[in-house]
Amino acid sequence: MPGLLEGIRVLDLGDWVAGSYCGRLLADYGADVIKVEQPGGSTTRREGPYAGDDPNIDKSALFLHLNANKRGITLDFMTESGAAIARDLASRCDIVIEDYAPGVLAEHGLDWARLSEGRDDLVMVSITPFGQTGPWRHYRGSEITLQAMGGPMHSNGSQEREPAKSGGYVAHYHAGISAAFGAMLARYRIESGGAGDHIDLAIYETQAGFRDRRTPSTLAAAYTGFASKRQGSSQSVARGVRIASDGYVNLLGHSPRYWPAFLTLIGRDDLNDHPQSQLPPPQMSQDFVDEIEASYQVYLIERTKRQAVIETQAIGVLGGAIYTTEDLLTDPHYRGRGVWDEIDHPVAGKAEYAGRQLILSESPREPVSPAPLLGASNEAIYENDLGLPHSEVERLQDEGVI
Amino acid sequence: MTTPRISPESQHRLPLEGIRIAAVTVVWAGPHVTQLLAEWGAEVIRVEPMNRVQPYSRLSLQRQSLEVQQIQAQAGVTYSLTPDLDPGPDPWNRGAAFNAHARNKKAITADITSPEGRETFLKLIEVSDVMIENNVPITIEKAGITYEEIRKRNPQIIMLRMPAFGLSGPYKNFRGFGTHVEGMIGHHLLRSYEDLSPEHTGDAFTADAIAGVLGAFAVTSALRYRDRTGKGQQIEMPLAEAFLPILGEWILDYTLNGRISASQGNRHRSRSPHGAYPCAGDDQWIAIDVGTNKEFTALTGLLEAAALASDDRFSSNESRHEHRHELDTALGEYTRSWDKFELFHALQAARVIAGPVMSELDALASPQLEAREWFNELTQQGVGTHKHPGILFKMDDTPNRLRTPPPLLGEHNEEIYLDLLGYTRETYEALIAKGLVGTTYPPEVLESAP
Repeated sequence: MPGLLEGIRVLDLGDWVAGSYCGRLLADYGADVIKVEQPGGSTTRREGPYAGDDPNIDKSALFLHLNANKRGITLDFMTESGAAIARDLASRCDIVIEDYAPGVLAEHGLDWARLSEGRDDLVMVSITPFGQTGPWRHYRGSEITLQAMGGPMHSNGSQEREPAKSGGYVAHYHAGISAAFGAMLARYRIESGGAGDHIDLAIYETQAGFRDRRTPSTLAAAYTGFASKRQGSSQSVARGVRIASDGYVNLLGHSPRYWPAFLTLIGRDDLNDHPQSQLPPPQMSQDFVDEIEASYQVYLIERTKRQAVIETQAIGVLGGAIYTTEDLLTDPHYRGRGVWDEIDHPVAGKAEYAGRQLILSESPREPVSPAPLLGASNEAIYENDLGLPHSEVERLQDEGVI
Repeated sequence: MTTPRISPESQHRLPLEGIRIAAVTVVWAGPHVTQLLAEWGAEVIRVEPMNRVQPYSRLSLQRQSLEVQQIQAQAGVTYSLTPDLDPGPDPWNRGAAFNAHARNKKAITADITSPEGRETFLKLIEVSDVMIENNVPITIEKAGITYEEIRKRNPQIIMLRMPAFGLSGPYKNFRGFGTHVEGMIGHHLLRSYEDLSPEHTGDAFTADAIAGVLGAFAVTSALRYRDRTGKGQQIEMPLAEAFLPILGEWILDYTLNGRISASQGNRHRSRSPHGAYPCAGDDQWIAIDVGTNKEFTALTGLLEAAALASDDRFSSNESRHEHRHELDTALGEYTRSWDKFELFHALQAARVIAGPVMSELDALASPQLEAREWFNELTQQGVGTHKHPGILFKMDDTPNRLRTPPPLLGEHNEEIYLDLLGYTRETYEALIAKGLVGTTYPPEVLESAP
């Protein structure tokens, strides 16, 4: 069976997380992705954590994760001869991904106008903090500043404290997936008889359009003039994070559908007939809420977080436990579903990776190959694919272009 | 290959024009996938019951009284509010959480758990390209609309299923919102404050946002695959598993190094200062992200913070990171008197990465979003004209904007039942008489609604 994205060739010029993850996603589902790094290696190689805490450019977990399933070459496309090779590579590809500041690639003849000359079947994705246009287009942005400006960060955390960002590089990953969606939209149109296009993706805007409360709250602000506020976790009766015997759970204890069953579960069926019990949570009295919370806490502290989740799920309560990475990697549900990819990397060694998100009935994902060592496919791509003579490749190496 | 859908005269039509999607989606993530596909041209037909109210989809009714909305608005729990906090006679058509995703869609009423509704739905499947659902798996099984069932009516159908935890395994029928799923994969703990328990970190629906774009990517890719091979398929995309790769490097730190990730808050692995710092005004903040001596010198120069610039503890990136808590506290004293936007522009001019923490009201006034015409106005009958959040990315040669307002309950019943599915007027009227089709919830449904 062919892969979902079989037949698509991708040139991945992405240096940072969003561009690289866009390429990884396309590679995972069957595209042939060539990762182009500057001769010194991608910026993601210089960030930890590292395998064995050894800061070796072939052991960066971030790079290993973002670039599995790709072929890798080095190329300084900021040089004249390097840019010419990059144009040659792009001419053989269907999708080009890049994440440089607006105007940088144009200086080297690698922008949309130049790469799409004479062909209407190219898709190019440009990922920037603020987009290719607008007064802030030359401003710098990073994970935390883009979450702060575009996303729901101002409503994350506690009102007693500063706003807290979402974990890791979530805004960049989200932008990378959005970019892959855009690339496939344009590619699908080409295969349906239409033309390619240049996708101008601003992470600031993917954050502004982030469904994690941001778009509903933005529309609500347009409706009412009210902005959202940080909620901590005790916003409503039996709703939010509470401590159990071995960690924390986050349950939606109150819903009219299962409220009587919930009160029974925590040993308070006596409250079912209480007049306060029928009210929506924002209208319950503090005394009544306190009484329920006290009984709920006694219930939780006698149980592990998983026990509490399994028991409450059984009566229909929405919720989950607050897992650590160890809880996650040892959990029988995920393990039983085969979600972890075991990848053996020649330098970093063998380890389980996250990767599989989709189970496809007709075009299942192939086993994953490890991220490339720096310049691993130079010979294969420059000499076999592009047909450069060996002496030319050596000359480019001497000049530091490769 | 099928016949080209795009003619040479209109090579820049929206990529999904001509694609029809039948959706039985609830709450947050499923409707987000169909939102994104509708934005790029797909005809999305949302199928909802009117003989019961789905809580959190068109929203529970008691939460939307004027009195409750005033409490919620003051408390800053805003995402379910209605215009001017007025629930109006039809609050189910007026809530922000629903209307923020429902633009560009069509809505019909049918109860897929009734024999009539199931048949309507299967007729719709016959003329659709894609079906999308994000219910608890058992709901779809009970309704008899699994992939095995619907492909009997349309062998080329693509079905996207978005359970919380999967179509198999011990958590198969676990119920949860995105925020609960995030707990079960480690994101809640990761994003909690470094020095406080996760109780101080409220709900976030990050997993829904991720599942939205990933589902849209998957469906678009599967459409291409179908056109190349003639084969539809089922795509299983659990919310939990969609999010796991977002935590890729944290997961590898455990599998490679045995390290259990601690709560990070605004901490960065190597950069400092890296956080949100107070500015002038109530609850005003600026995010600052510094990773080099050059940036730190520019920052302290602009803030006239000579004491920080000359402090040995803050003389290198490693040392700043080691003493980041002292640095964060000290830096806050310098940012405190600044307007967050003035400091933002001044720091950017000095090439320091910084950005104000922007509320939704700030977003509505953003000059960058304004210049890029990101917000689009839509007028909805009985709700009014408002700015709606825009489309995630632009295509240079394919101008795109929001087309139609969020549909009222059952707004497209006649069009879909009579024109598309070919129901006779008589059969259609019979479904109305049975209370299965209509444009408002019957009084007895409203009375028993949550």
